[in-house]
Amino acid sequence: MLPRFHLLQAALRLVLTVAACGWLANGTMAAGAETARGFQERRERLIATAIANLQEGDPTVGSFIDVAAAMQRGENLTAARARLTALNEPRPTGNMFWMYPVMAVLLNGGEQLDEANRARLAHWWQAYWPSRGDTENHWVMYYASLYLAAQHYGDTGLERWFNGRSAAENMAEARSYLEHWMKVTTTVGQGEYDSPGYIGEYVVPLALLAGWAEDAAFRQQARMMLDYIFFDYAVEQLNGQYAGAHSRVYPRQLLQPARVTASALGWLLFGLGDYQQNAQSVLLALSGYTPPPILGRIARDTAARPYENRELKRTRWRMRHAGENAIVVGDKRTVPVYKYSYVDRDFVLGSSQGGLLQPIQQQTWNLRWRVDEPLDASNTFFAVQPYSSPHEGTMYFGADWDTVTDLIARSKTDYDSPDKLASGSPYEQVFQHGPALIGLYDIPADSRFPHVTALFSRDTEDVVEDESGWIFARSGPVYFAYRPLVAGEWKPNDWTGLLGGGAGGWISNGFLEWGSGHRCYVSTARHNGYVVQVAPARDFDSYAAFQAAVRALPLTFSTETAAEVTFTALDGSVLRARYGEVPSVNGEPLDYAGWPLFESPFGVADRGSRRLEIRHGAERYRLDFENNVITQTFDQP
Amino acid sequence: MIPRFLAVLFATGALTACATEPARFYAAVAMTKAQQNSSVPTDSGIYFRTGTGEWVHFGPRILGIGSIAAEPGNPEHLLIASADGVIRSTDGGRTWRQTTGWEVVDVRAIAFDPLNPRQVYAATQWGPLRSEDAGATWQLAQQGLAKLYTQTVLADHAVTGRVLIGAEDGIYASTDAARSWQRVASSPDTTILRLVQSGAEARLLLAGTQHRGAWLSRDGGATWTQTDPASATANLYAAALSPHAAEIMAVGGWDAGVRISTDGGASWADRSAGLPAKHVFVLAFDPDVKGRLWASVFEEGSFYSDDLGLTWLDGGLHGAYGFDYVFVPPARR
Repeated sequence: MLPRFHLLQAALRLVLTVAACGWLANGTMAAGAETARGFQERRERLIATAIANLQEGDPTVGSFIDVAAAMQRGENLTAARARLTALNEPRPTGNMFWMYPVMAVLLNGGEQLDEANRARLAHWWQAYWPSRGDTENHWVMYYASLYLAAQHYGDTGLERWFNGRSAAENMAEARSYLEHWMKVTTTVGQGEYDSPGYIGEYVVPLALLAGWAEDAAFRQQARMMLDYIFFDYAVEQLNGQYAGAHSRVYPRQLLQPARVTASALGWLLFGLGDYQQNAQSVLLALSGYTPPPILGRIARDTAARPYENRELKRTRWRMRHAGENAIVVGDKRTVPVYKYSYVDRDFVLGSSQGGLLQPIQQQTWNLRWRVDEPLDASNTFFAVQPYSSPHEGTMYFGADWDTVTDLIARSKTDYDSPDKLASGSPYEQVFQHGPALIGLYDIPADSRFPHVTALFSRDTEDVVEDESGWIFARSGPVYFAYRPLVAGEWKPNDWTGLLGGGAGGWISNGFLEWGSGHRCYVSTARHNGYVVQVAPARDFDSYAAFQAAVRALPLTFSTETAAEVTFTALDGSVLRARYGEVPSVNGEPLDYAGWPLFESPFGVADRGSRRLEIRHGAERYRLDFENNVITQTFDQP
Repeated sequence: MIPRFLAVLFATGALTACATEPARFYAAVAMTKAQQNSSVPTDSGIYFRTGTGEWVHFGPRILGIGSIAAEPGNPEHLLIASADGVIRSTDGGRTWRQTTGWEVVDVRAIAFDPLNPRQVYAATQWGPLRSEDAGATWQLAQQGLAKLYTQTVLADHAVTGRVLIGAEDGIYASTDAARSWQRVASSPDTTILRLVQSGAEARLLLAGTQHRGAWLSRDGGATWTQTDPASATANLYAAALSPHAAEIMAVGGWDAGVRISTDGGASWADRSAGLPAKHVFVLAFDPDVKGRLWASVFEEGSFYSDDLGLTWLDGGLHGAYGFDYVFVPPARR
């Protein structure tokens, strides 16, 4: 069944004010038509490939989403029905990862869904109790699916439902949570922010709602949240790769950053990067969602670069050990996450302020540079203070002190390994201005891993350990310099052999291909830190000229009582930071209190406003979550 | 113990519960031992032990089930504490209904007020809850708490409306059915992991804590003192008081194993020999077998001792991470 044509509904709500400049509007609209055609072609390619995944006579291949695609288009139905039967036997598994794809099948099935499968699915909604899970993406998927299931099964009583609640009760609860989540996200920021993998876990439930929620207002809300999340991504990506600080990232995604859902979405939405078949992209394609053209213009606009992008996010809710800097939202504790990215056409350097901002899989900062063939590239540079503890585990998870670390490592295998590359650290403070960054550390002597690791990927070239203490490197269109405050040693990444040895199952699959050949600069000290300076190669006559320029930059630092740095960056700005204090630029302390939800040339949103104004040239596209309205205008040039 | 012929009659429904029927023994566990490369246990939930010693899964198979409580005198009315909220059955587990909404998460412990079973209390890791209609609906119960994390709750069986709760920063008490809380000043400033009350002497309470060992109260929880110096810095997840003799008590924890006192806490002895590991999460005295102590050892299973821990026997539930043992007496007739 085709999704509801929410665009038609949206159009009714869209207040399109074309002010005076017909030439501008016409030009923009013409470009928009071409963009739409490209999007349509990519969408059809994904759907066709999904349908072709199903093999008649072999019900062991294909996913629920492939089945949903076949049902929507009325193709390959025999294989789709057989596969659907097999996927639900002997009984469902996966909780919300069963709920949402099953809803995709039910919503797309229409008359194509045979009675046996239809009855079986109805049975499982009564007999299988999917848990809600424990992360925000779990909840959004769970409740979006529950909402649509309640809608699908209509006025059914509590005896038809796994949780003993009627369809009306389930629908009301689901909507209440989803609206709460939308409100928090658009007020104080997303919790699982900017994850290149988990963006998909937010896109699919919102796509389901945007495509199939019968309530027009709720459908509109979901569509606006998709716009919001894709804007968030568009202003911080480099040829489709999600750059900047991430809340959650897996080892492979750290080292081969284009092979991830965000890049697959970038290809579908904006034609960026390379084609990747991805179930979550397919579901978005099936939903009928079309990105507003302004997002495509922003995503592909390299002329506006470089620019600064600031965003406010929040940590996952902290159930205990919330800390003195915690803020309260409702009755939940969290800590603000201050994101800053410098977005150049050839690279993105992006960071958060450090600390335990997310459990387990945080990437506090990274440098990403443009590559022509991104899929297998390891175009990344970053540093991490590996940290694991029951303190962190019990801050975010409901497990016990003595078992939480072990249980985390059952699924996030390298969590307790000294060579891990993703981690938040309570001993870390990071500060960035333009393409320069300072990281400072205060690591207690009894810390489990008292070192700082800088990852030099196998794609970096001509690494020079300079007598000045700087380490220079280059790759593709960027030069970068790394100045450890305390000298360290080189080690291979995965120096424990954990992932290379196959630990973690799927997490380490293919490690030799993506995980080998990188190396780390590892520095161990109580007070530690580094300075990073990045520059586009186009700004210098040669690599040697870049090195000479950096060598000449004024830099003073100390690691005696606390790590502290004063550094004059390539642009002449004086950056000063001392661990535990608010850093400054040219003597002005950073204004964390005034940090906006979004601020870049392409959009602004004030903290607490529930309004995001997206900008490109004279075009304004406003998402007003308070009133559930989209407004588009074209200003006078 | 029930004579075998009576057990058969019970099983066939030929006899209804009577005074000689034992309590039903429930365990809340997660099967984590075989959990590899996954964040999800291979199974989890409530199990009950049959008369032949088998464990049978009971109720919904959902994640993060912390405990189960039965209405005093009505074992058909059950409440499950789970990560998904409170799950209620009024027909002995034939049907279940989630009675909390999305606001309620990670319920670790739940207790009926023994003297007024319409009052029910729950400890969640995001703050306590109270119900005035036997668990059908719930309200947040946060007034007076400095921090909201709670893990264990105790409804005083001697004073209706009096509740104690184990929080992140100590023990809190309420005398108005959890409408408001006051911190018990003498309780340790640490996470309280387990609170139990003696069935033999209502004013005797025992607490297991994180990093601060075991604490005793002899005045119904008004004042607390640390006991057992040998486990003074241990994480003690388990605490149990004998329902038959107030002077017999037990605590258990990580690396602490099982520790027993037979003199009301004056002295303690390690009684872990014979257990596969000293990682104990739950302890409970069997109300029907005098002197029998049950222990749940992390990912090893359940074990029982009829000689106060001098020897241990295999009690099943192998591979389980135990969260609670609950004995539910038969219906009053």
